[in-house]
Amino acid sequence: MKLLGYRLEKRVEVSPLWQFLSALLALAIAFAVSAVLIAFAGANVGEAFLAMARGSVGSTSAFAETIVQATPLILTGLAVTVAFRGRLWNIGAEGQFFAGAMAVFWASAILPNLPALAMGMWVFSAAILAGSIWGAIPAFLKARFGSNEVIVTVMMNFIIHFILSYLLSGPWQDPASSFLQTAKFPATANFSRLITGTRIHLGLGIALVTAVVVWFLLWKTTLGYEIRAYGINALASKFKGIPPMRTIILTLAISGAIAGLAGASEVTGLHGRLRLDISTGYGFTGIIVALLGRLHPVGVILAAIVMGALVNGSLAMQITSGVPIAMAFVIRGVVLVALLTVEVLAQYRIRRHIDG
Amino acid sequence: MRNTTVSTDQPQAIHQPLLKIENLTKRFPGVLANDNVSIDVRHGEIHCLLGENGAGKSTLSETLYGTYLPDSGKISFRGAPVEISSPKDAIEVGIGMVHQHFVLVPPLSVIENVILGTQTSGLHMHTETTRNRLAELCDNYDVELNLDAKVWHLSVGEQQWVEILKALYEGVDLLILDEPTAVLTPQASERLFSVLKRMKDDGLSIIFITHKLKEVMAVSDRVSVLRKGKLIATVNTTDVSKQELANMMVGRDVMFTIQKEHTDVGKTVVEARALRAKNERGEEALIDVSFGICQNEILGLAGVSGNGQKELFNVLVGVLEPTAGTLTLNGDDITFAQPGARMDAGLGSIPEDRIHEGLVMDFRVEENVVLGIHRREPYARGKRLIDQDAIRRFAIESIEKFEIATPSASQVSKTLSGGNLQKLILARELSLSPAFLVANQPTRGLDVGATEYVRRRLLDQKKRGAAILLISEDLDEILNLADRIAVIFKGEIMEVIDAKESTMEKLGLLMAGVQDGQAR
Repeated sequence: MKLLGYRLEKRVEVSPLWQFLSALLALAIAFAVSAVLIAFAGANVGEAFLAMARGSVGSTSAFAETIVQATPLILTGLAVTVAFRGRLWNIGAEGQFFAGAMAVFWASAILPNLPALAMGMWVFSAAILAGSIWGAIPAFLKARFGSNEVIVTVMMNFIIHFILSYLLSGPWQDPASSFLQTAKFPATANFSRLITGTRIHLGLGIALVTAVVVWFLLWKTTLGYEIRAYGINALASKFKGIPPMRTIILTLAISGAIAGLAGASEVTGLHGRLRLDISTGYGFTGIIVALLGRLHPVGVILAAIVMGALVNGSLAMQITSGVPIAMAFVIRGVVLVALLTVEVLAQYRIRRHIDG
Repeated sequence: MRNTTVSTDQPQAIHQPLLKIENLTKRFPGVLANDNVSIDVRHGEIHCLLGENGAGKSTLSETLYGTYLPDSGKISFRGAPVEISSPKDAIEVGIGMVHQHFVLVPPLSVIENVILGTQTSGLHMHTETTRNRLAELCDNYDVELNLDAKVWHLSVGEQQWVEILKALYEGVDLLILDEPTAVLTPQASERLFSVLKRMKDDGLSIIFITHKLKEVMAVSDRVSVLRKGKLIATVNTTDVSKQELANMMVGRDVMFTIQKEHTDVGKTVVEARALRAKNERGEEALIDVSFGICQNEILGLAGVSGNGQKELFNVLVGVLEPTAGTLTLNGDDITFAQPGARMDAGLGSIPEDRIHEGLVMDFRVEENVVLGIHRREPYARGKRLIDQDAIRRFAIESIEKFEIATPSASQVSKTLSGGNLQKLILARELSLSPAFLVANQPTRGLDVGATEYVRRRLLDQKKRGAAILLISEDLDEILNLADRIAVIFKGEIMEVIDAKESTMEKLGLLMAGVQDGQAR
């Protein structure tokens, strides 16, 4: 490629610094694009962005709300990270999120009288199990029959969504309400108080601990080594005795378990009951978070906070400058596209032509 | 403008070189790939670029072909300075290249592949003109090629013809061939050489990249030897001996033949009985393959590429299930054992395709050196936790013991040269002291130094007591190393002969499926 005396050359290695800078670049591009859109919509760009900044990080309470928004994204981002490290394209974190949330309701309903600590361990275990099963089904189908995990995980999202719709309109519906929701969980399954005065809940602690666990899993355990080896070169892994079936199933089961935790953390920390709108697409945003975070737990936490700030700040932007909150979703989408573009660009470097 | 005067005491038309490279330097992070290299290529000559892996041959040719830009230096073509910043520029100037790894589109036909590279615009494909021109070229050089065949149906040798024809079709004056014989049988290489010579007689200039001295002697007019990025010398091929070239290339005296010691063989370690298997396309690839290998013995498996060697290797390491037959290792039936279980039972393997089958290229050296043994003590504690320190120690030890050229144990593997990657695999596989070692083309693509090294290691293993199956298309290698030689043809073992009684001719005939004067 030749352009005004400059050209692109492939890099042998993409350094961590470049990975970080390219992620920033993707964000910058996304904001530039949305600035154009905001201007088109007739609003004042500076004002809108200022409102967004104020609403997301402008005060302690605003930042606390950003953290609340980031909490499920850290978890779904980590879930996607584990799967993508193994080059297994789990697009089903959304469904696994619901599986976890539903397991909490079911578990708390069949043993409603457990003391708080036991209740917490019980409902979270149930959520982990449910998420991992929902993740392991597409894994099994892939390992056994060679089906494509992208399609199956996407379909599994629909399946669980419709199962939940059915349950909420019948068997699990709150008898005291006509809404599609369950009754409140027992008080022992409510973990909404982590920092008083804010909505920050136990889920944040769980998310941070999970980030450490994921880091440990990927780089300090033999299983993590196998997941990464399988992800980069499945053939060599198979030749060297890493069993493909076990690796695929464990990878997606772990990924699903983490997404299930995200669901449990949301319903026990925020909603206190099961509804259809407990997720605003956290499973899907998790994909963007994971990629923006460069498939590394630390990056995922940072990316989740950025995405959380974006959603939270957009609310403020809508109120003060009239730019609809849908702009947050536009930015999110552009971030993904810009990331994928920058990803490719980061593998090249610009060289100046020498004079002949 | 500098250095444009051509000495006038020589007739220009003949002596002005077609290509002139002056003081070319190309640097990669941490490596000086080409250091002030000046070479000229004359009209109608075959010019070999000789050097070990990592000597800078490929970088130089990729720079000529526009894949890289030089950091400094000057390239002139037909006396005029040129700037080549993409393969497209190169082709416009008149330089074509056939890479080691072909760049063809497998599902398309030969004609379509040629058109794909040349037609610049328009919806209509001018198949007829292309067909006529290609047919003419094939005819001219006695190349038999079905122009309508899909490329993936073609053998590697035929695919190479497609690449060469593509370049000729584009009308280049200088053709660069990057290690073209790496994928060919001895016979096919001979054939290639004779065609190249005819192309040369028709006025084409050829840069032939190789690290095989035999080929330099067989095909070239002049040879430029590169070592560690520097040009050592350009000489007329007739003025030098193989030994002199080898010394120039390696920078020290090289031993050519390795003395194989006679050792008494021990008990039988591996026994294959009537193994059958199918290839990826569901065709019979192995038909009743039986052999036994004892301790302290190397069984060579000779054959033209694609006669079942790959499938046999896969069956032995456990990634392809045989449809019939049995395989035992030290008396245990491992016919259906998983790859990991076989490694536990004492199997070591060196795959043909080290990049795809042997290593995780994005892994660090230390991560690769334990691939497959990462769950064992001391690299893992209780099979679950990685012991980073133990792995690091083992990696550093391996780097020293196997002379792996890498800046550190934490270097990403893909920056290593082919020879060093192979040493990395050897370090890993030999660390287990395998009872049975199966090596598929262990020296393919390696330079003289690394080849010598790998062969010595195989002989060391034999001396230690390993049973070794050496699958190789290099007959010299097999004759040099093996105690007995089995020849495979269309999935069947034609004959197993004692190495002492075998000759190149006899093996060549068996490889072509001729036994006792009868063709199969």
